[in-house]
Amino acid sequence: MKNVTIICLLLAGVALVAGSATAGDHGGDIHFTRPVEAVLFSHDIHVDQLGFDCDSCHDGLFEYEAGAAEQNGDFTMESLYGGGYCGACHDGETAFASDTRCATCHEGVKGYNRALGKTETAASHH
Amino acid sequence: MILKKELDMSRNEGLENLGSEERRHFLKMGLVVTGLFAGGTLLSLSSGARRVFASSGEFAEKYPYKPHYSMLIHVDRCIDCERCKKACAKTNHVPDYGYRTTILERDVSGALAGKREFVPVLCNHCNLPQCTRVCPTRATYKDPVNGIVQMNKSKCIGCLTCQMGCPYNARYFNEEQMAVDKCSFCWESRLSKGEALTACAEACPAGVRIFGDLSDPNDKVYRGIHQIEKTVWVLRPEAGTKPNIFYTRG
Ligand code: SF4
Ligand code: SF4
Repeated sequence: MKNVTIICLLLAGVALVAGSATAGDHGGDIHFTRPVEAVLFSHDIHVDQLGFDCDSCHDGLFEYEAGAAEQNGDFTMESLYGGGYCGACHDGETAFASDTRCATCHEGVKGYNRALGKTETAASHH
Repeated sequence: MILKKELDMSRNEGLENLGSEERRHFLKMGLVVTGLFAGGTLLSLSSGARRVFASSGEFAEKYPYKPHYSMLIHVDRCIDCERCKKACAKTNHVPDYGYRTTILERDVSGALAGKREFVPVLCNHCNLPQCTRVCPTRATYKDPVNGIVQMNKSKCIGCLTCQMGCPYNARYFNEEQMAVDKCSFCWESRLSKGEALTACAEACPAGVRIFGDLSDPNDKVYRGIHQIEKTVWVLRPEAGTKPNIFYTRG
């Protein structure tokens, strides 16, 4: 368990460097920007509120390093529907299915820009 | 933005406040009004095509244009990736400071959709457009064949009267062209060249924007809007401009 904690702390560090996390003894907020901008994964909700431990996802589904999944060609909704990545739980039984409630996870360009602290006008200039 | 604020309310307010003219208009189109939301801002419609008209052929004739271009927006599928907006800007040379289509965001609490909803908006190519009525030079006009609300930019004097008249905030002043610019359903850039879809509809990865011909009973848009029991609505029906952009969920 101690090792896991250390890894989690490391992860928090990595994610912070990547500029996509808030503090905490987990990964904070992870903003996926590929294949579409953007999806928010909240460690707060999944770890603090729902009580999952690191292994729940970081034992085969996701690397500890933020952004690693997005490098994979199969990080798509199709994979999720087949039980990959978030789809391992978001299958309609353990958690709501990945092809429902789209805007629950998809924060969009607007949500991502807000997280980056950009204003709406600035957001349209990119 | 007024539109956005008004979209924040979506409680069904009953039908008492709905004018009979409004009801008749939608009935003529084969749609039965089932609910009124946000002081008439959102009008919910359920298809009654079979009840109103004996045959779908007869029904199709009620649409004044051929093709009668229209878009059905599956609002709960939108994820605000804005690929539509980017594709539109690229295709139609829309500058950063303006838009022909954009995405609004509203909070919805307790709804199945989750805590937020993204609402794509664009020119409604209204059947009774306020913009063309107030334009002093007739630079903006409704195409008599396909119903697209167009700009003749050489006639535009930049007075912005059309912009003030539009209830949907669908027009911006293009400084490079020294004229007002707006959505034309990609007529110049795509449809007139034989493409079937607008750039936004083609770019959407989530199947949000269904574009087609409302006068053709075999068209996806027609079928989507006239599904029995399906709730379909328009934005700001109280403005009385008879919009051609429809919204639905599911
Ligand atoms: S491309 Fe589709 S899902 Fe993305 S913002 Fe536009 S309408 Fe919404
Ligand atoms: S939405 Fe606005 S610009 Fe488009 S036709 Fe209607 S009044 Fe004119």
